[in-house]
Amino acid sequence: MIWRDGSLLSPGEGGVYGERMRGGHRVWDPRRSKFAALAYLDREFDLAPGTRVLYLGAANGTTVSHVADYAEVVYAVEFAPRPMQDLLAVARRRKNIVPVLADAGRPAQYAHLLEPVDLLFQDVAQPNQAAIAVRNRPFLAPEGRLALMLKVRSIDQSRPLDEVGDEAVAALEAGGYAVDSVRPLLPYHRDHLAILGHRVG
Amino acid sequence: MTARYWWGDIDENGACTPAPADEGAALARLASLETPMDGYLPGTWEAAVDCGAVPDRAAYLARLHALGMRLAADRVADALRGPDLELLQMVRTLDELDSVINLLTERAVEWYAIQDPKFTRKFRAMPARRLVQVLAPRARGPLRGVLSQIEGLGVARSELAREVTRVAARVLPNSSELVGGLVAARVMAAAGSLDALARLPGSGLQVLGARTALFSHIRTGTPPPKHGLIFQHRRVHNAPLAVRGRVARVLAARLAIAARIDRYRGELDPAFIEAANARIDGVLA
Repeated sequence: MIWRDGSLLSPGEGGVYGERMRGGHRVWDPRRSKFAALAYLDREFDLAPGTRVLYLGAANGTTVSHVADYAEVVYAVEFAPRPMQDLLAVARRRKNIVPVLADAGRPAQYAHLLEPVDLLFQDVAQPNQAAIAVRNRPFLAPEGRLALMLKVRSIDQSRPLDEVGDEAVAALEAGGYAVDSVRPLLPYHRDHLAILGHRVG
Repeated sequence: MTARYWWGDIDENGACTPAPADEGAALARLASLETPMDGYLPGTWEAAVDCGAVPDRAAYLARLHALGMRLAADRVADALRGPDLELLQMVRTLDELDSVINLLTERAVEWYAIQDPKFTRKFRAMPARRLVQVLAPRARGPLRGVLSQIEGLGVARSELAREVTRVAARVLPNSSELVGGLVAARVMAAAGSLDALARLPGSGLQVLGARTALFSHIRTGTPPPKHGLIFQHRRVHNAPLAVRGRVARVLAARLAIAARIDRYRGELDPAFIEAANARIDGVLA
């Protein structure tokens, strides 16, 4: 990934959502994007050019546009029609985004569109986030990476972060993932845990 | 079992049939495609090339991008098509206008009271809307402009309310007939869509819009709410207290049926309306 003066940048055509530009590159704000926050907190977390990404919870396509600046192809799954309108506008100018209007919890709706991917990035506000990651595991290539941005308050309003996190980790490990690290996305995002792992078996 | 991918089908013997090259035909095929996940293996672009569906990786991505865009755009258009969606926005705008007008009026009157120290609202029964009209020519400076903007908002609000009633009569003919267009539209908006409304049981519909009371009932055992939004209907709020809950329940049950007729038949059923009204008025008699 491209770092300059401590800021994360992405190479690509700007003006997607009013992001700042620096030296012809787009500034990728960790406060707006969980993907960027993760990159700020874990410099080992890399998005190598040529990566194939399955992005669950693509929303308006803000983060997706940055991911697409690096990746070879991004399969962007979003369930709600309103944000999908924005995502389509982004995908119209970034030919390596494949928009998919479908429910990430029901991969049967879009399995025929996919190919094996290197990275599964998930950012969905659902109570069964770990189960969704497990259901989408078949799309990961062997040893493919999982980056799950666990929205703890979508699972439980009041229990402590690590308690909810531990349960999610257990569910992921039971579902065919090995979890490598769990970290809060503070100070950029509250009540979020970034769970990194990879597919086993 | 045949494995089905966007670019073609591979049967159990490994024989491959590419998907139609024509975009329209390919889209029609994709629109109905569901891929069971047990035993599923993602298709690879190499397999698509072997199949003869695309010449290379670049063509694979270009074609997939084009199909994905069309497919998603069609589904968005489908999802946003229902006439209830615009009604939903209209109702929410109407409620928002009400609260904005109230807030601004309060503030403007406070401001005016500073400009005119003798001003009081006591001993003159004057609705807020009229008050704004009276104060506008007397106010000084930018307050005058603000007051006339509030007047303008009031006009827009009345127009919108009329339009909501008109659209509701078309989209929710039976519900509108039963409880009036505004209440019917509000109930639909609270449910989220006509689809959601048609699936709601009468008991749920009865307390739509009484969320605080309902959850305080569930959590702490306070008395359950008798009515939510349907209180705005005259037969509920005019009913004597002793039977108001019963009226609300019976009305909600009929309204749930009316919503289903609206959703699945979409036209007015005078026989149903007559029977429903007789049943509701029967409670009051």
